[in-house]
Amino acid sequence: MKVFVIDVARCNGCYNCQIACKDEHVGNDWTPYAKPQPDTGQFWMKVNETVHGSVPKVKMSYVAMMCMHCENAPCMNNCQPDAIYRREDGLVVIDPEKCTGCMNCVDDCPYGVIYFNDDLMLAQKCTGCAHLLDKGWSVPRCVDACATDALRFGEEEEFKAEIAQAQVMFAEYGTSPRVYYLNLPKKFIAGTIFDPEIDEVLIGAEITCQNEKTGEVFKVKTDNFGDFWFKNLDVGDYSVWIEMGGYLTQTMEHISTIKDVNLGDIPVYKEVKVAA
Amino acid sequence: MVDKTKSNGKPGEEKTYIKGLGFCSFGIGSNVAQVDVKDGKVVRIRPLHFDEKYDPKEWNPWEIEARGKTFKPSMKSLLPPLSLAYKKRIYSPNRIKYPLKRVDWDPDGERNTQNRGASKYVRISWDEATDIIAKEIRRVHDKYGPYAILAQADGHGETKVVHGPHGCQTNLLKLMGGFTLQVRQPDSWEGWYWGSKHAWGMDPVGKMGPQTNVMRDIMQHTDMILFWGADPETTTWGWQGQMASRLCYHFTELGIKSIYICPDLNYAAAVHADKWIPVRPNTDTVLHLAIAYTWLTEGLYEKEYVATHTYGFEAFRDYVLGKEDGIPKTPKWAAEICGVPSYTIKALAREWGKKTTSIAHCNGGSYIRAAYASEPGRMEVLNLAMQGLGMPGRHQVTMIEWGLFGMHTQNPLPRSTCIPDPYKAYRGYFLGYFPKQHIPKTLIHEAILNPPLKWHGHVMAGMPREDQFIEFQYPVEGCSEIHMIWTDSPCWMTCWNGGHRFQEALRSEQIEFVLAQHPWMENECTYADIVLPANTKIEEEDIGTDIFSGSFNSIFYEGQAIKPVGDSKSDYEIVCEIAKKLGMYEALTEDKTTDDLIEAGFMHSGVQEFASYEQFRDKEYVMVPTAPDWEDDPVGLYNFWKDPDNNPLLTPTGKIEFYATGLAEHFPDDDERPPVPHWIPYGETHQESLLHPRSDEYPFLIVSNHPRWRVHAMHDDITWLREIPTCKVKGADGYLYEPVWINPGDAAKLGIEDGDVVELYNERGGVLGGAYVTERIMPGVVYQDHGARVDPIVPGKLDRGGANNLICPHRTTSRNAAGEVTSSFLVGVRKVDLEAMRQEHQEAFTREFHPTAGLVFKAQLEGEK
Repeated sequence: MKVFVIDVARCNGCYNCQIACKDEHVGNDWTPYAKPQPDTGQFWMKVNETVHGSVPKVKMSYVAMMCMHCENAPCMNNCQPDAIYRREDGLVVIDPEKCTGCMNCVDDCPYGVIYFNDDLMLAQKCTGCAHLLDKGWSVPRCVDACATDALRFGEEEEFKAEIAQAQVMFAEYGTSPRVYYLNLPKKFIAGTIFDPEIDEVLIGAEITCQNEKTGEVFKVKTDNFGDFWFKNLDVGDYSVWIEMGGYLTQTMEHISTIKDVNLGDIPVYKEVKVAA
Repeated sequence: MVDKTKSNGKPGEEKTYIKGLGFCSFGIGSNVAQVDVKDGKVVRIRPLHFDEKYDPKEWNPWEIEARGKTFKPSMKSLLPPLSLAYKKRIYSPNRIKYPLKRVDWDPDGERNTQNRGASKYVRISWDEATDIIAKEIRRVHDKYGPYAILAQADGHGETKVVHGPHGCQTNLLKLMGGFTLQVRQPDSWEGWYWGSKHAWGMDPVGKMGPQTNVMRDIMQHTDMILFWGADPETTTWGWQGQMASRLCYHFTELGIKSIYICPDLNYAAAVHADKWIPVRPNTDTVLHLAIAYTWLTEGLYEKEYVATHTYGFEAFRDYVLGKEDGIPKTPKWAAEICGVPSYTIKALAREWGKKTTSIAHCNGGSYIRAAYASEPGRMEVLNLAMQGLGMPGRHQVTMIEWGLFGMHTQNPLPRSTCIPDPYKAYRGYFLGYFPKQHIPKTLIHEAILNPPLKWHGHVMAGMPREDQFIEFQYPVEGCSEIHMIWTDSPCWMTCWNGGHRFQEALRSEQIEFVLAQHPWMENECTYADIVLPANTKIEEEDIGTDIFSGSFNSIFYEGQAIKPVGDSKSDYEIVCEIAKKLGMYEALTEDKTTDDLIEAGFMHSGVQEFASYEQFRDKEYVMVPTAPDWEDDPVGLYNFWKDPDNNPLLTPTGKIEFYATGLAEHFPDDDERPPVPHWIPYGETHQESLLHPRSDEYPFLIVSNHPRWRVHAMHDDITWLREIPTCKVKGADGYLYEPVWINPGDAAKLGIEDGDVVELYNERGGVLGGAYVTERIMPGVVYQDHGARVDPIVPGKLDRGGANNLICPHRTTSRNAAGEVTSSFLVGVRKVDLEAMRQEHQEAFTREFHPTAGLVFKAQLEGEK
């Protein structure tokens, strides 16, 4: 059975996958596999880009979204003409000649990856370039065009190691997708520690971050730029302590990671020894 | 041209062609792709898998082992989206379908030059067009002589060899007695060319010359790479594809820290940076000086190396420490100017001082093409010298143009047995040929509006350092001023310096005839009197090479994939048609067919040494093997480091010059490029600094990089790119505006929200854009890529397309350096009242545009909307 493996950490955001999908499917009629994709506004392969953090602690993520070719595909449940079928290789395809445009699948897909083509009155989505695979291609266009190997495709057995570490989108829906993601972005809390009196960054300061609900604790030390990063955090409220020998400990509470957090350049001050 | 598409596949069957889809032009190819065609239409464009017709053993693929990991080049071409989406460019609604004449230009009567850019066009036949052109050439020759014709034979574009490489008109004009050449300046490298060369020689480019095996050495030894004003995820695309991206990922896997120093979180920083240090545009000199100050005061530099490998260190030290001007260049002093906190500057200086560090470059941007770009260009060299340049892991590495000028020494990756060069087939302008009269590209508008002119140097990319000391003038004694322009690269106004002033020059009565040939109705085409439709390379039969990828070189046969779109011809065929009317056809073509030229090109390419022409035509591509002895090439400046006396640099002293002796000798009074590099916020030539009072009125500095979704002016009509969020922003009027990045804090102060239409403005005019409110740009700075298609609201004053080169300075780098200044200049930013502007400029706002592709050919036709 075929699977896609998408390593978000290796995606440079070039959009080749989205473009190659259009190059293959816009203006080309691959009936009985698929009718043409509209030129713009619909994306059988779509890159979603997000900017995380604030100046200067900013990162970007690009997450490719496509039909998950689910083992328990919700789109197949209510298809009135029974136009959606699963191939032997696992790819889920909407038969454009059977589709009556009832739009049930568009509503039923929890991933929002089935588009309704108003001109053709058809539900459409990724076919895994089945028309090319059947001609002998080993991978679909998006994968062939990927310059960094962020996007891969092949037999499930070939990717056992990756799948063991991977996530699927909305596992809780029980759809059993055949598209596996590695390194999906989680949240970060970052900052820089400096001593304003000596105008220096503080290297090796111990930063502790605690999830206020679960109590889980993470520790890092500031690097040679005085920077610290807690990456891969879940969404939640966190407390952060800054500790450095000879300096007053600083505590920040109720830091929400609904969005990624740059705590900025944080001044810390030396302990003042008060005479007895 | 013989129509060879007839021999294509049967109806309903796909046939595959190989095409180089790189956009450097000048015959320098890259991005080898496969184009599948069915029933006369392009079906798809996809990477070439090198092993499709060969066993990899046949071309000796290289690998680099370092730190327990192996880096292997990909077995397919790593195309950028610009190549993948090229089908949309071929079938663009902005393709010029047939020859055009401007309605109110009458060569036998009123020429109405003042209406260029405003008046529309009517269709004429090829016969009529070539008649008019031949008559005009003869008239101009008779009245003024051959030098009155300016050949704009230049600019990046499709890379072709036989057909339509830039400059095929020069071959005809040369046969007819000469022409005035528009000379391409070393653009995108201004600071290295006009500055760095005086510190370390390094002809022809100005960047570190011997790049040999530098990439392997970095993988083995370097701890930290400073990507200084460099974006390996953008500028590389049109030139060579995406190998640079794979290298950046590999650096991270090896544990090498990637530090990005730039005002914008550029596309590489966004995914590869371990740290982003935002610096205000064109204040990098200050940051370099404060780093040098930290090293000097903390003893953190290679003192012995400086003593043995450099010249004039004391003068530099005195300037840095403040003995020269009373201002010590401390981190505190620098922080105020450049926006990097002083504690971060010190941390960076110490990291650089202690860790094995290289600097990586990718051309373009505010660092290297702003006002006085010579100064950061030189400062960087001096700081590299203070850290022992040439020692293991300590280099300046180029991430772009690997193998430039056909030189192995310009390639940091393993050497190929040859860099194939099909020059025998090439019918464009040969870099290095100079007619009696030339004008630097950066001075064309001044030559038209304000002659006579004097400047220094040929101002051509690739000339040696000493060339910058030769004085030239226009007009040359005995040569006429220019009265006719023939352009095959009509994108000057959106890519060069002072575009609005250039528009003014094009409307001058002095210029009696403007002839443009191009596939798309854009930029200067709409200022021309006659416009001829050129076709794209997909419609032509040619030979191509891929020599910039960094992986493997190749040479390929490019079959004619589809018939010409509309009534178009190749650039070479266009010149041939004109030559026929002038009785010059036989002299121009030398009776050689395209087939003859392709064969000659291959047989002199270097590849004929190991592959036959039959193999080339049969397999349609030939892979060039990696040189078996590539590992023996000395690493970068290793020899200079080991033995500077016997391996001198190309400076007068043979050493790295902290005090540039050549500048001191030839320009002793030039305070805009003094012998020791200085921080020059503003001066006689430019006032583009936040420290200058002009900033009261225009309080933002603009970063204008080479575009992510274009190559300069190319690709701006591709609908699949234009729906990407950072490519265009849809205005309330449905027009797709060029994004203007604004920091959320600044946007709030200006009352601007994401998606608003905004205007960037200064004394030189205004351009519109779509607000993209983002943390990817530092406060006080805005960002807009260059190269958007010009769409005048008021010609010479206000533009809707967002071509911000229209409002960049028209003056050159500095008094004696004729580079362009197209990034880091002052602008004001304001929200546009679209309805009010629409009322005021109804004609411009009712001009037809395609909702997703933008400008359309038919909007320029008389009688159309």
